[in-house]
Amino acid sequence: MKKTYRVAGHKFAVVMPDNDAAWNEMGPYEPFVCVDASDCLFTAELLEAMPDTSDKQKVTVSCEGSDMPRIELYEWRGQWLMEMAPLLEAPVRAYLLTDKTFQEAKFRILGSIRFSLGTSLMLMFAFATARKNTLLMHSSVTVKDGKGYLFLGKSGTGKSTHSQLWINNIEGCSLLNDDNPVLRVMEDGEVHVFGSPWSGKTPCYQNIDVPVGAIVNLRQAKKNTIRRMSLVEAYAAMYVSFSGYRFIKEMADGLHATNEKVVGTVPCYALDCLPDAEAAWLCYKTVSQ
Amino acid sequence: MKTKKGYRLRQLGKEYILVAEGLEVMGANQMISMNETAAFLWEAVEGKTFDTEALAKLLVDEYGISMEVAEKDVTALLQTWNKAGVIED
Repeated sequence: MKKTYRVAGHKFAVVMPDNDAAWNEMGPYEPFVCVDASDCLFTAELLEAMPDTSDKQKVTVSCEGSDMPRIELYEWRGQWLMEMAPLLEAPVRAYLLTDKTFQEAKFRILGSIRFSLGTSLMLMFAFATARKNTLLMHSSVTVKDGKGYLFLGKSGTGKSTHSQLWINNIEGCSLLNDDNPVLRVMEDGEVHVFGSPWSGKTPCYQNIDVPVGAIVNLRQAKKNTIRRMSLVEAYAAMYVSFSGYRFIKEMADGLHATNEKVVGTVPCYALDCLPDAEAAWLCYKTVSQ
Repeated sequence: MKTKKGYRLRQLGKEYILVAEGLEVMGANQMISMNETAAFLWEAVEGKTFDTEALAKLLVDEYGISMEVAEKDVTALLQTWNKAGVIED
């Protein structure tokens, strides 16, 4: 069976055997189902068995922290092979094999279906859209008065907590996505934030988009202060908050172009904060002006 | 001396940044802010071997300043680059 999904305006197809258990894990993707299957950026097909890749060549390993997924990148017969583990020290639990234009991917599930599916599709989405004015972000996003507010920060900083503080203290505020929203520079130059099937531990899979009101980089502190970031500061804060292999020149160029447009268009702030209501109010009052 | 591999000069509005993008420096997450003069010199010598005098000459030709002033500026700049680890002997 083949199903097509549309996330942030980009279509992709997933191909798996009709009765495969993995379909039961596709609930988060349901709001994104798309009837028209034309013009897919990529197709990801489930493999029952991996080809023998023992002659693979190691390229690099990436991991953003001991509690973050580890991704080993190899080159194998003119393709990229990614071996993924849920944690830095964990064994490999999923394989992703893709052509170098990121159009035809095959993946293999070893452990948790959700981890394998989510990681494979997120990586493919990030790579396939890197040159299309699109960034797959690591961020928690709230919506207030029709505008999206993105909270950035290292893992464990309190992005989700800050979103919850907005929702609990500011009337008419809701969650758009808690972990992996998508930013896209639209044709008219406006920057929009989209919900996605990937939202970390919070089930919040919304197929909607809103213009971005502000981007806020969070840092834990003993008191609450906020200031506008310079262009370079904002670029750097964004740079560590989206995925992509920068050593692939075309990908780095695409990501740079989008990031440059985003930080040139959207007001970006640095918020030093406590996990309290006052932080949410200070932030909201400043960034919604 | 020479520039280290893996760094990429990026323009951001009117500003310049040197970004660690290559496999050689992957994981460094390093970014160095550069003014127009520094960016001009980096672009001129990227991937090549150079010395203080060569850079100073480039400045003299481009900006019409004296060799003495140019050498002083280049010495300060090279210290910054050295500290940032973006050049090597």
